[in-house]
This record gives sequence, C-alpha cells and structure tokens, in this order.
Amino acid sequence: MIDVSGLVHRYGEATALDGVDLGIDDGEFVVLAGANGSGKTTLVRHWNGLLDPDAGTVRVNGTRVDEDLVAARTAVGMVFQEPRDGFVAATVGRDVAFGPENLGLPRREVDERVADALDAVNLTGRGDERIDALSGGERERVAIAGALAMRPDHLVLDEPFTGLDAPARGSVLERLCALHDAGTSVVVVTHDLRDVLAPADRLVVMSDGSVVVNDAPGAAVKRLAGLPVERPC
Amino acid sequence: MSTDTESVALVGDETVENVVRAALFAALTGVFSYVSFQLPVSPVPYTLQVLGVFLAGVFLGPRWGFASLALYVVAGAVGAPVYAYGASGVGQLFSPWGGYLWSYPFAAGLLGSVAHGTGARTPTGEVPLWRLAAGLTAATAVIYAFGTVGYAYFGDLALFADPVRALVSAALVTAVPFVPGELLKAVVAVLAARSERLRDA
Amino acid sequence: MLSHAPGDTLGHRLDPRTKLALQSAVAAVALARPTPAWLVVLTVGCLLALRGCGLSVRAVYAEYRGALPFLLVAPLAGALRFGPPWVDPAGARGPLLAVYRTLLLLALAAAYVRTTSPRESRAAITRLVPGRAGRFLGLGVMLVFRFLPLLQSDLRRLREGSWVRLGDERRVDRRLAHLAVGALERTFRRADALALALRARCLSWNPTPPALAFARRDYAALGAAGALVAAAIAL
Repeated sequence: MIDVSGLVHRYGEATALDGVDLGIDDGEFVVLAGANGSGKTTLVRHWNGLLDPDAGTVRVNGTRVDEDLVAARTAVGMVFQEPRDGFVAATVGRDVAFGPENLGLPRREVDERVADALDAVNLTGRGDERIDALSGGERERVAIAGALAMRPDHLVLDEPFTGLDAPARGSVLERLCALHDAGTSVVVVTHDLRDVLAPADRLVVMSDGSVVVNDAPGAAVKRLAGLPVERPC
Repeated sequence: MSTDTESVALVGDETVENVVRAALFAALTGVFSYVSFQLPVSPVPYTLQVLGVFLAGVFLGPRWGFASLALYVVAGAVGAPVYAYGASGVGQLFSPWGGYLWSYPFAAGLLGSVAHGTGARTPTGEVPLWRLAAGLTAATAVIYAFGTVGYAYFGDLALFADPVRALVSAALVTAVPFVPGELLKAVVAVLAARSERLRDA
Repeated sequence: MLSHAPGDTLGHRLDPRTKLALQSAVAAVALARPTPAWLVVLTVGCLLALRGCGLSVRAVYAEYRGALPFLLVAPLAGALRFGPPWVDPAGARGPLLAVYRTLLLLALAAAYVRTTSPRESRAAITRLVPGRAGRFLGLGVMLVFRFLPLLQSDLRRLREGSWVRLGDERRVDRRLAHLAVGALERTFRRADALALALRARCLSWNPTPPALAFARRDYAALGAAGALVAAAIAL
C-alpha cells in the first residue's frame, strides 16, 4: 500500500508537486496520466525515496519511506523510461540478478528469483543472451524482470511504451495484465491512454503538480475534456 | 515479500553517483584510448587516453578521480579493451610502457587535489584557471616521471647501474616526442572545464 | 581484438584467481631473473599455457604485432651513449631480454583474456580485494564492460556529426574540445540515469558474494606457481 499525503516538491523556484494526496492499494491497476511536466514522474520517484519531499509524507505499507529505504525500494519496483542506461550487466540473467544480490540473498534464492522473473515476462531460458542484442520490447521486459526479481508489491512503469511498435507494446501490456492478475499492483505512468484503460481499475490524471482526476476509468474519461492527455481511440 | 532490510547496507545516494561517474569516466578514458591523431611537429601517433586522466581529475576531484583511473587500470588488466589502441591484460602493466598506466590514478588524484583542494569539490566551472594550469602541469609531470622510470626499469636500461643515462635515454624515447600532444590535451581539458554546456556537472 | 571466447579448455576451467596468481608468479620471476636460462624456462611454461587455453602463437603474434615497433625502441635506447662511441651494442642486451620478457607476459595476458569472462574477473576481484574497495572495483569493472560499447557509439556519432558542423574549423584544439565536451555531456547523462536505476535497485555494500570455488586442478596450478617462485628465489 502506498499512501501519499500533502506531498510538495520543488525544483529550485518551480513547484513540481503542489500538495498531492493519493493512495494506491495492493493489487490495483492504476493509470497515472498527464502531460509532460505535470509532475507524474516526480510523484512516483517519491514512492521509493529517489527524491526527498519538501513537505508532506509518503508511506509504503505503513512505514515512512525515509525511515526504511530498503523496504520502500523492495516494495515499490520501478521501471524507468528508456531503460537502456539502467542495465548494469551485459547479459539478461546477470542484470536481473542484480537487485536480489544487493539484498544479500543466498545464491540459490537469487537464481530462483531470476528464473521466476524471466518466466513472468516470457523470457524463460534466455538469461545468457546479451541485452544489447534484444529488441526494444524485449529490453523493456528485461527491465520489468529486474524490478520483479525484488518481489515488489507494486510495479511502477514510467512511460513503458515510448519507442515501442504496436506488437512490442502489445507484448508488454499483455505481461502487465498477467502480473496484475497474479496479484501485483501495477501503476503505468503515461501521457498516452491508448489500450491501457481497459485493464485499469482507476485513472489518475495530473496537471500542474496536482491530481485533477481520480476515478474509475469509465467515469474519469468523461472528465478528460480539455486535459492534455491523448484519449483512448 | 519481506526481506530482512536491517542487514542491507545501502550505498549512500551521493556515493552511488560518484561510483557511477568514476566507472563511466574509466570507460570514457578507454574510449579515448582508441582515438588517435597526429601533429605536424612529431612523428608519433597520439591517443586521447591522457585526456581521460585529465578530465577525471578536473570533473571528479581527487578521491574519485583517483578511484576512476584505478578502476581503469584494473578493468584493463582483467581484459576490458581500454588501454592504448584497445589493448588489455596484466602483461601491459609490466611492459616498458607500463609505467604510464601506473601513473594515471596518481596523476588524476593530484590534478583533482590541486584543482579542487582536498575539501569539498568546487563546481568545475568555478575552478580558477591558475589551479587548472598548475594541476595539469603537475599531473603531466607525474605521468612522465612514472613513464620514464617505468621504461628504464621494465625495459632494463641499466637503471641502477647508470641511472642518469638510463633515465635520459628513456625520456628521449617515451616522453619528449609526446610533449606537444600533452600540451594540446591540457588545453582541451581547460576548454572542457570552462564549457557552458557542462555548467551543472 | 582479443576478447573472451567461451570454451572448455583447461584454461577456461581454472578459477580466475588461479590464473591471476600464475600470471603474477611468471611476472615476478621474469622481472627478478631476466636471464636467458630463466626466460627459456618461462617460454616453455607460456607455450604450455597457450596450448592449455587453445590459443596459437600465431594468434597472439597477430594481436600484438602493432605494439612491436614501440617495444623494439627499447634496445635502441639501451645502446645509445651520450659521448663517443655514441652507440654501444652491448647496452642493447638487457633491453632486448626485457622486450622478450614483455612478449611472454603479453602472451599470458592474452590467454587470460581469451579464457576468462568479465563476470569471472569481477568475481575474482571481489574475492581478492577486501571490503568496500573490492565492491567498488568489482561493480566498476562490470560497468566498464557494460558502458564501453555505448560510449564508443556516442563518440563515433559525435565524430561523424562534427565533420559536418565543424567542417571549416581547422584548429585541432577546438575540434578536440568539441568532441570532449560532447562526450562528457553524454557520459554525465548516462551516469545520471544509471545512478537513479542503481538506487532504485538497492545498490548495497554487502551483496551476495559471487560463486567461485577452487577445484583440485586449481591447487595443482597454484602449487606449480609457488614452486616456480621458490625455485627463482633458491637458484
């Protein structure tokens, strides 16, 4: 469970988050939408303590993020936009193992988690392949596996479809739905609502550092008029 | 999924940034080692390798400049193709030219401490020109000192029997022809340190 | 360029720490005893090592051919005298043996690189260097291998681009500064993205140690390395 209350974040003079309140429940599929610069990326980077709040608090599973960073970073798995620079190893399996290794888990459990994570993104048995030789959609799925290997409660993806063609987009989305069905909470941060609303439980829209819409997708879409997001076709 | 979070010693945020920069500057020095150019004043081909050393000292400061080039040497020793012209291997460290490789961490560290002092790192754009110039000169001196002594020692030029002759002939071969290239790289390092585009670095 | 190639030779099966120890032993003996007799002994050892790693002398020669002119300057420098008779061929003897010794060490290094994956090297470093320094070097080596090709392609694109934009700019310092600043910009940008990802993935000082274990062949090889050093000290 993620619980954001009164969150304020400033970059110098500019206010990126202006008192945000938001909760994400376990097992939810949430779409977080908004134009570039609306504050959505800044918001999610508070959920695992990558940024420090200027005011307000963020709690993950009841504990303040800054009180236990390791707990927050394992509970909230994050997949960044353009994951290419976030890989640490040359091969798929070594990279996915990186997170669990940092937790100091026994080697046997690390291997088990890597195998499970690769299964979950349909990359079973491809641990020895070189990341640079993969397609964009496959790379995105390796990044997702890297986050899943931490066994997170929430999986947060920042613009996961950028630069992907339709089939790759479909393959990533299909995996996200499967993960959601298996009980992981999924948060997709995007400026583009095509396809992602069907599986979503909730649509949250941000504008100028505030949450302006927070509702079930059916009801929320009706209030999108005038907001700078691409509507579902 | 609960993990025993107490036992995990997280690397501090600022240190993560420094570790990553040190590693990427080591890789950058490796990339520069492939780039060769010639100057009309000397017959030897120059590489930009030493520019990587200079930039690490200028942009990372003493501690992480040293760490970055130590990493460069270690990575090359275990097979990363980062030495001049993409060479690698422990053997290079004991070859006549190996003295240069040994010098790089110390040169970057010294340059960093002259440019930034030993306290907190000054933003690179605000380092006074005289400090840059003094640091670059000192770093170059360290590189040539290690390089020349290394050549006389690893090349068995009778360093202990006739030190003056050994060092002078080593310097004639390994240092003198390269001085114009080093001057140029020092100028480039100053231009980079003063670049508006790297203000925030 | 010589790089790691998977395989199943004896060299591939040895622990990376053993291979580093063997190289160090040969380097120590070659530096301390650069006499023709010892170099013959070491040559036999190196030929056996190349054989055990599935490498031919020809392949190693092709690898280091470019370095030979740089190495062969040493005997010339050794023969040089600052006064009549100006050249003394006897002075070239030591440097010539030193060059030969260097070639042996380069050949061994080539055998190591060919048979040892970056992952094994990283594991060896983490095991050999204690504490945080070992963690830094191990992680750093992994990142150097990972980012070298990315920075290479950055620089290639920059050089191609700068020919177009700086076509008239002849001054080599300006050209190089343009290249350096562009490369630094991209390097910092990649570093920021990577640092963020590492923080999100709980980069820690005390990760699961890499799996490495000595086998019986490693003890045999380490014994041979020890015997070599002992013999060099005794004889």
